[in-house]
Amino acid sequence: MKSIQVNFMVNGKNHQIVTAPNRTLLSVLREDLKLTGTKEGCGVGECGACAVIMNGEPVNSCLVLVGQANGSTITTIEGLSKNGQPHPLQKAFVEHGAVQCGFCTPGMIIASKALLDKNPDPSDEQIREALAGNICRCTGYTKIVEAVQAAAEESNHA
Amino acid sequence: MREKDTLIGKSILRADAWDKVTGSAKYVADIQTKDMKFGLVLRSTEHHALIREINTVAAKQIPGVTAVITMDDVQGSKYYGPINPDRPILAHDKVRFVGEPVAIIVAETLAAAGAARDAIQVTYETLEPVFDPIQALGPGAPPIHPDGNLLAHFEIEEGDLEKGFEEADLIVEQTFTVPRIYPGYLEPEASLAEWHQDEHLTVWVSSQKPFNDREHISHVLGLPTEKVQVKVATIGGAFGGKEDSNLAILAALAAWKTRCTVKLVNTREESLLAHPKRHPAILTYKAGVKKDGTLTAMKVSSHMDTGAYGSYGIAVSQLHTETLTGPYRVPNVRLDTYLVYTNSPISGAMRGFGAPQSNFGSEGMMDILAAKLGMDPIAFRQKNIWRSGDRNVTRALVNQPESLQKSLDLVKEEIKRLKQIPPAPGMRSGVGFALSVQTMGLGHRVPDDSTNRLEWQPDGKILVRIGAPDLGQGLNTVAAQMTAEALGLPIHQVEVAELDSFVSPDGGVTCASRMTYSVGNSLLMASQKAIAALVDAAAELLRVDHVNIQYENGQLLRLDQPGLDPIPAAEITSRVAEAGKTLTGEATFSFPYGPGTPEHLPLGMPHVKFCMGAQVARVEVDPRLGIVKVQEIVAIHDLGRVINRVNVEGQIEGGVVMGVGFAVTEEMSLKADRHWVNNLTEYLLPTSMDAPPVIKSVLLEYPEESGPFGVKGIGEIPLVPTPAAIVSAVENAVGVRVTSAPIKREDLLAKIG
Repeated sequence: MKSIQVNFMVNGKNHQIVTAPNRTLLSVLREDLKLTGTKEGCGVGECGACAVIMNGEPVNSCLVLVGQANGSTITTIEGLSKNGQPHPLQKAFVEHGAVQCGFCTPGMIIASKALLDKNPDPSDEQIREALAGNICRCTGYTKIVEAVQAAAEESNHA
Repeated sequence: MREKDTLIGKSILRADAWDKVTGSAKYVADIQTKDMKFGLVLRSTEHHALIREINTVAAKQIPGVTAVITMDDVQGSKYYGPINPDRPILAHDKVRFVGEPVAIIVAETLAAAGAARDAIQVTYETLEPVFDPIQALGPGAPPIHPDGNLLAHFEIEEGDLEKGFEEADLIVEQTFTVPRIYPGYLEPEASLAEWHQDEHLTVWVSSQKPFNDREHISHVLGLPTEKVQVKVATIGGAFGGKEDSNLAILAALAAWKTRCTVKLVNTREESLLAHPKRHPAILTYKAGVKKDGTLTAMKVSSHMDTGAYGSYGIAVSQLHTETLTGPYRVPNVRLDTYLVYTNSPISGAMRGFGAPQSNFGSEGMMDILAAKLGMDPIAFRQKNIWRSGDRNVTRALVNQPESLQKSLDLVKEEIKRLKQIPPAPGMRSGVGFALSVQTMGLGHRVPDDSTNRLEWQPDGKILVRIGAPDLGQGLNTVAAQMTAEALGLPIHQVEVAELDSFVSPDGGVTCASRMTYSVGNSLLMASQKAIAALVDAAAELLRVDHVNIQYENGQLLRLDQPGLDPIPAAEITSRVAEAGKTLTGEATFSFPYGPGTPEHLPLGMPHVKFCMGAQVARVEVDPRLGIVKVQEIVAIHDLGRVINRVNVEGQIEGGVVMGVGFAVTEEMSLKADRHWVNNLTEYLLPTSMDAPPVIKSVLLEYPEESGPFGVKGIGEIPLVPTPAAIVSAVENAVGVRVTSAPIKREDLLAKIG
């Protein structure tokens, strides 16, 4: 298998990776860049724990071959805080009890950010639809939906 | 601490939440060490087969492969099990289910390990499999274990069954079936074991019972326990499923054999196939009732499928037997539970531990009896619920049964409210409810201790060493809260340490709705000891009699010199630390199986403390498609005393949605092609769209006098009544009584008029 060279920007930083072409973006983020905040929950795109934002869209990074990410701009959970300040979603998840075991949390926050970037004032129903690809087994989703609403309100009034 | 300042009942934020929202929390799979090797497990492709040969020659020659490990490499115990040691560490003569571990491959890279796994040749001689627990007990069924397929039979008899049925005006028989359910924690099982040159091991686990893991590892490797250090990483959910030590044992074995660091992480498929599920069961009820609604007799026979190995089945089936009659007075009973081996995936511990299966049968039965009598289902239950002074079927005294009456009163109000909500166009709406009971603790004569330790830090803070892990449910937060309350300290002065078997006390298993109760009780005792240690140390340093020193809210008062300023604890603890010492308070709380607890029952019975409650469901059913949409659940639960409101609501909401999955979407079935459902595309964990948009928690506080601050358990019960409440609501909506979970659209459509 011939290696390929991939260039992308992750959390504002340029990376050049030479690697086997059959690897996923998820494994490169976790193993090569040590960005282990992005989780592997199923490996087949069903649980959303590996969600990252690629060129503005939420994607399951376990379904993206690393070559497909060439030239892209990627945001992972580690890239959300700015100047040491947490993103309003991170703050809201903590304050509203939306975090239990935490394994789905990075993907949930990423999917929520992708939603709020496009729709800053979503309804409950729209939040539930946007998060339908992210499974949580602990919370029953109620407090996650509340947290996204709270973050939207905070961002809109900021 | 003054009452208005109490921390009890406050929604204290979780200390671990910040690490989790920023991605910095470390789960086992996130740990990477220098020179770490990768492990993979070769698993059985057969349901039931003899192993004729395991040929590893070709696999071992693949570049990058460090070792291929089989049962021949196991020097110590070759079998393990939490209760009955029936499970081989690695299959060697026979496989009993698809997914059973046969060999471990250790390699420099995952790719090399994968190639080696493909190169191992296992020669199987297939045997006929059996998947149904009733068939497995029948004549001619293939024997799965040498002693046959019946692992255990539990029976409870009370009163005179025949007389009870004679007294009945109506006798009803009904069979219920409940599915194989996957715990579905988001973090698949993982373990990382590091071999150290001084011949000890460090094993990172995602486990509910690190000290049992240590025990198993020590037996399998033939190592003394002090050579096995078990450390708990952040745990990504467990729900009972992480009471299985399998992966920790395999990782430890691989590290020991190769003298390397080895990481094993299960794929979702491996997790689904090879880790324990909730026991599927077939329950046949026969109940007798008088015209006025009084229950006279109940006979239940339940067959639980424990799969290929026992795991916690023996304990689960006992708790199941104890709860088969629900929270009701039934004077004459005969209860039989058969725990049966099959070639299905292993069943074991899962949230509710046998009670959710019972509840589906007993509450279904209550609805059916009420309907046949033409009685209101609330009035019918009213007639039969436990009252003060009642004992259950094992003659255990029921604690705070008055919460059942209160729950029924609230159910009545909620039903009235929910019935007024109109369905969406084209949908039919229905409202139903169910009562529930869940036991607390491990059961009589099972060691049921909680040991925890407080350590004064040089800066006057308290470090809590809890002997059992936080699974993500928030144990560490409520433990810190109760400790801070007991010591009169602000919450930020109390921190919980990571669990490390080299330093933490052995606190047993995180399970059985017992943590807030038992850990809390232990920490209250430990707090008194920590205060005494501080006072004694101060007395020595200040050269005064200890009776002249009083502890108050993190400070020491000189009673003999009231004019002096209070001395901050840090002033003493820092001086003690300079001398190389730590002031501690450690205490063990033993679950109170007091005098009078029946002795004739098997180990683990009876349970003597109960949690109770009720849930009301509003559903909408699409009569053209058979789709059931759960719109609202009202969860009414008595938990004695709320310690952390947001955390409790979180437990309830998560439990309710797990119950929705049980009722509507989840089943790990054997498909027509004889493959198990093995991915999340086919195994449907509820999503944000499946979960009820409204979950209303109603928290009742009938204090349990043996509990810290009056606490009872809440970890398991929130999912127990949910399926039965949904079934009842579906009947109310479309007139179809479902007796099998999950509710199947095609069955519903066939019966909708």
